[in-house]
Amino acid sequence: MADVNVAPSLLDDSIRKSKILVVGAGGIGCELLKNLVLSGFNDILVIDLDTIDVSNLNRQFLFQKEHVGKSKAVIARESALGFNPNVTIVAKHDSVMNSEYNVTFFKQFTVVMNALDNRAARSHVNRMCLAANVPLIESGTAGYLGQVTAIRKGLSECYDCNPKAGQKSFPGCTIRNTPSEPIHCIVWAKHLFNQLFGEADPDEDVSPDTADPEAAGDAGSVALQNQASEAGNVTRVSTRAWAQQSEYDPSKLFGKFFCDDIKYLLSMDKLWTKRTPPTPLSWDNIPEEISDQQGGLIKDQKVWSPAECVQAMVSSIKILYQRSKELNGEESFLVWDKDDEASMDFVTACSNLRSHVFSIPKKSRFDVKAMAGNIIPAIATTNAVIAGLIVFEAFKILEGKWEECRHVYLNSKPNALNKVIAPSSLDSANPKCYVCSPHPEVTVLLNVSQMTVQSFEDKVLRGALHMISPDVMVDDGKGTVLISSEEGETTENMSKSLSDFNISDGTRLRCEDFHQEYDLNITIIDREHLEENREFTVIADPSQLQPKAAVESSGPQPSTSSSKPAPSTRATESVEIDEDLDVIFQKGCANDDHQQEPSIRKRSISGQADIGSASKKLRLSENDIIEL
Amino acid sequence: MASPSPKSPGQISDKSKKYDRQLRLWGDHGQTALESANVCLINATATGTEILKSLVLPGIGSFTIVDGALVTGEDAGNNFFLDHSKIGKPRAHVATQLLMELNSDVKGDYIEETCDQLLSNNPDFFCSFSVVIATGLTEKSLHSLSSNLWQNNVPLVVSVSYGFTGSIRLQVSELCIIESHPDNLLEDLRLDKPFPGLKEFMDTIKLPEMNHKQFSHTPYLVLLYKALEIWNDRHGPNPPSNYKEKEILRNIIKSELGYGIVKEEDSNSGDEENVAEAIKAVNTALTKTQVPSNVQKILNDDQCIRLKEKNSFWIIARAVKEFVEKEGNGVLPLRGSLPDMTSDSQRYIALQNVYREQASKDAEHVWRHVQTILKERGWAGESVIENDVKLFCRHSSELRMIRGSCLAEELDGKQLPPDVDINQQLEEPDSPWLHYLLLRAVNKFHTENGSFPGYYDDNVETDIAKLKGCFSRLLNDLGCQGGSLSKDDNLHEMCRYGAAELHAVAAFIGGCAAQEVIKLITKQYVPLDNTFIFNSVTSTTATLRL
Repeated sequence: MADVNVAPSLLDDSIRKSKILVVGAGGIGCELLKNLVLSGFNDILVIDLDTIDVSNLNRQFLFQKEHVGKSKAVIARESALGFNPNVTIVAKHDSVMNSEYNVTFFKQFTVVMNALDNRAARSHVNRMCLAANVPLIESGTAGYLGQVTAIRKGLSECYDCNPKAGQKSFPGCTIRNTPSEPIHCIVWAKHLFNQLFGEADPDEDVSPDTADPEAAGDAGSVALQNQASEAGNVTRVSTRAWAQQSEYDPSKLFGKFFCDDIKYLLSMDKLWTKRTPPTPLSWDNIPEEISDQQGGLIKDQKVWSPAECVQAMVSSIKILYQRSKELNGEESFLVWDKDDEASMDFVTACSNLRSHVFSIPKKSRFDVKAMAGNIIPAIATTNAVIAGLIVFEAFKILEGKWEECRHVYLNSKPNALNKVIAPSSLDSANPKCYVCSPHPEVTVLLNVSQMTVQSFEDKVLRGALHMISPDVMVDDGKGTVLISSEEGETTENMSKSLSDFNISDGTRLRCEDFHQEYDLNITIIDREHLEENREFTVIADPSQLQPKAAVESSGPQPSTSSSKPAPSTRATESVEIDEDLDVIFQKGCANDDHQQEPSIRKRSISGQADIGSASKKLRLSENDIIEL
Repeated sequence: MASPSPKSPGQISDKSKKYDRQLRLWGDHGQTALESANVCLINATATGTEILKSLVLPGIGSFTIVDGALVTGEDAGNNFFLDHSKIGKPRAHVATQLLMELNSDVKGDYIEETCDQLLSNNPDFFCSFSVVIATGLTEKSLHSLSSNLWQNNVPLVVSVSYGFTGSIRLQVSELCIIESHPDNLLEDLRLDKPFPGLKEFMDTIKLPEMNHKQFSHTPYLVLLYKALEIWNDRHGPNPPSNYKEKEILRNIIKSELGYGIVKEEDSNSGDEENVAEAIKAVNTALTKTQVPSNVQKILNDDQCIRLKEKNSFWIIARAVKEFVEKEGNGVLPLRGSLPDMTSDSQRYIALQNVYREQASKDAEHVWRHVQTILKERGWAGESVIENDVKLFCRHSSELRMIRGSCLAEELDGKQLPPDVDINQQLEEPDSPWLHYLLLRAVNKFHTENGSFPGYYDDNVETDIAKLKGCFSRLLNDLGCQGGSLSKDDNLHEMCRYGAAELHAVAAFIGGCAAQEVIKLITKQYVPLDNTFIFNSVTSTTATLRL
């Protein structure tokens, strides 16, 4: 007797007639595709822009070793069809954010299922489903934790109803001048990689920042001159050009980054009144201190001694320099990849040397990799469980039993009520949601005379608000067009600052994303300085005019975007769920509040810091289902 | 400077690349345990193959499928590893082949016999497995298997996917867990009971003699220790325990420790990072050092005291017990790790070494106790490895032990656990006990009728009546008066399922069960104790202790 007979015939029928969009063919996606096919679904479109990596194979069972480097969507389809050739599966090796996947495209599906690994794409699919009025099942896993929730326009919360704390970026001065935690040194080392071998980004400078507000005035010109005489005309040429002059001589690089620059920082003595000052290292006298001696650890998990770091730095620079010399015309730079041995060795070595200089605890290569690559642990079992739960939610949606849909959390161990799974009723939509409310509004705090139109588009509209092709008009009675999605129409505006368009405190901007069918009014609040030296702060609910609830700027955070080239470029790839269950780095710049919790804190999905989720968690523990 | 060597200090193998994301959960030693494990699956049902899939992917050592059945159309419909072209072929063979394709590191084997045949022909067959997983067994076969494995001390995981419900039952006579990965592990700092080395180290530090720079780069543990000394002088030997007392201590840290130290002109008192850290740590760093109750229970256990068998866990536990009673003066071996803190490297490393040295001294004591125990009993020395002793000592405050119950006895049993008010449970619409009893009732039906209720479409009405009978007799057998309670809707539902194994349920139960198997094998994280019930209609789960 066939399994689908168990389902009431009505459900059976609607399963067969339904058309499903599966967004993502990774950990959850593979399991989901299998579950759908074996539950009687026979018309499925799967889309994923990613290619298969070795580290996927411990859980993404539709892929095997020989598939490494190939399209996830294409191979997932082939594997699933090999098993049941009677179903229709269409595979797209593409970004779901591409313009061809418009609202009409979304409207053809009965249910959309997200099996994604990044917030930008989740947010985008959420908007497309709202606009197309198609039910969405959202999901994510991280280690032993996971969650599933159903989203339907007007009937539930949408993905953006609870603003999520953004990926923390660190103020430039913390990275360049006053690191106090391992992550600061790791970020610095990744920037150093890009300065030396990668695509140089002016926001990723690694040398001392003389404009540090804290050092104001004192440091100085004297020190600057000293440095110039010591290290040559360093300030005139780019770091990369300078390194090329010496053919990446490791002793010269070492001398600049771990000795001369550090001496220069020491000269900015105001920085060190309350901090432990750094100690410059000397190439000729590397301390051979005994490193962490925990028995039985494999090399990857040992903390390297400074001398071992220098060795690794020397050998990785040699490899990377050789590689960069071999680059052909099309690619002019290397791309940092956590799964590339030399890149990882370089960052481990340089970050630990910097940590040593600043008396910060050193980290093993294994840990550095997790922090530098935003790695979230992932296993087959959690994905299997979550993909099963997605199908149950789909059954309820197909039966029209919306009221029975649940927001389900998977805990790593039984919670206080002895439940591994904690279902809760779906919340109703946040009436002030900046995405799904009838008249979406947000407030953005920024400095109108410093923020350029380009930055506003890239960092605020695309980066933080996840728009794809924004059009922006200033609400000044004249209909001034600030940004147009038509190519070339507003190019000349891009380098100007917002104040050049008479945008000032209280100005309203009308934003429209044609592709997402999304309109948003933005109120600008002009602030000369924002806390932690942020460039801007987005406040979704104006009644919470406090920075904690805000969606923050995400600095060097590439997410799934349509323009991703070769597989080696993905800094956040194969992260099953990168931000909902994020590694949150607390503590920022010099003038930061020292009472804050130091070091890294892993947050669980159910424990998000924003107000909405906190109340959700409370409710969960108050009136959960069955007692035991 | 050492001569440049082209070799990176950390060469990464292909294996660690493939398993990178899971090594972050259970470490290399967990992975090694997994890779040396050998599991047996009885019956390659959808649930069974889903469990194996989630064990083969992370790299289990080997598996053996025991299954006497041939592939049917139903199998092809709900089992990813069996398709229509394989109908009529031996299920064990086909599933083994396809599962092995998932991971070339894993060995697979199969036996085309039923569990019953094996149990009668070769009763010792199952003894060699790390874990046995059973699916699709009748109550009678399950009973024999359970008794056999209970006697041979092999863990058993029984998984059921039945319509929209499912269950997992763990049968493990005793499981001792060294690394339980608790959520909120407190640091082991011993500020309330300083060991001699710590006291000595602290006594060499004189805060009042420091300049401001030295003071502000002193590890916060030193500040806490010094503040506690002042507190003890004034308030006696007990550390502050309530909010008010802790506030007093915070004030000492804030205003007394750095008193008289000349500050640089523009720094304000109390804004030093280490002072802030010390104030923050008052809550967590001053918890009383004692043996936690779950660990005390293990040390007082009969196994630990009488030490009947040569079991590494119990031998070390006994050695730890002796350590606690002798050298430890009532406390466990020191963990030996320190939290990160603001400090200059030199003093941080010095402090770290103080803790490490003590931890290794403690572990050395325990190791010597282990050797004495082995000698006294004439057991060979190599049955305990020194590294295991170190690991044990490091995790001695998080030890857990689970003693399970025998499934065969549960099936024979005449009553439910005494603390369960079954009548009250049955009044609730979606009680896990109801689902537990419904699953028992359909098995009883199978025992009496040779098929599951509703399996044959034309018998549904008569099956419902028969199932009602089974259900109320089951309740009577268990001594419940609840037989009169009407559960018709649920009984109808069970008949409607017709024992069908829905793939989505199998996927869910398979994922959960595989996770439990991994816990049993790695002896990390605490497994469920001992019965897990799932209802997919309401997305609810519950754990029952039977």
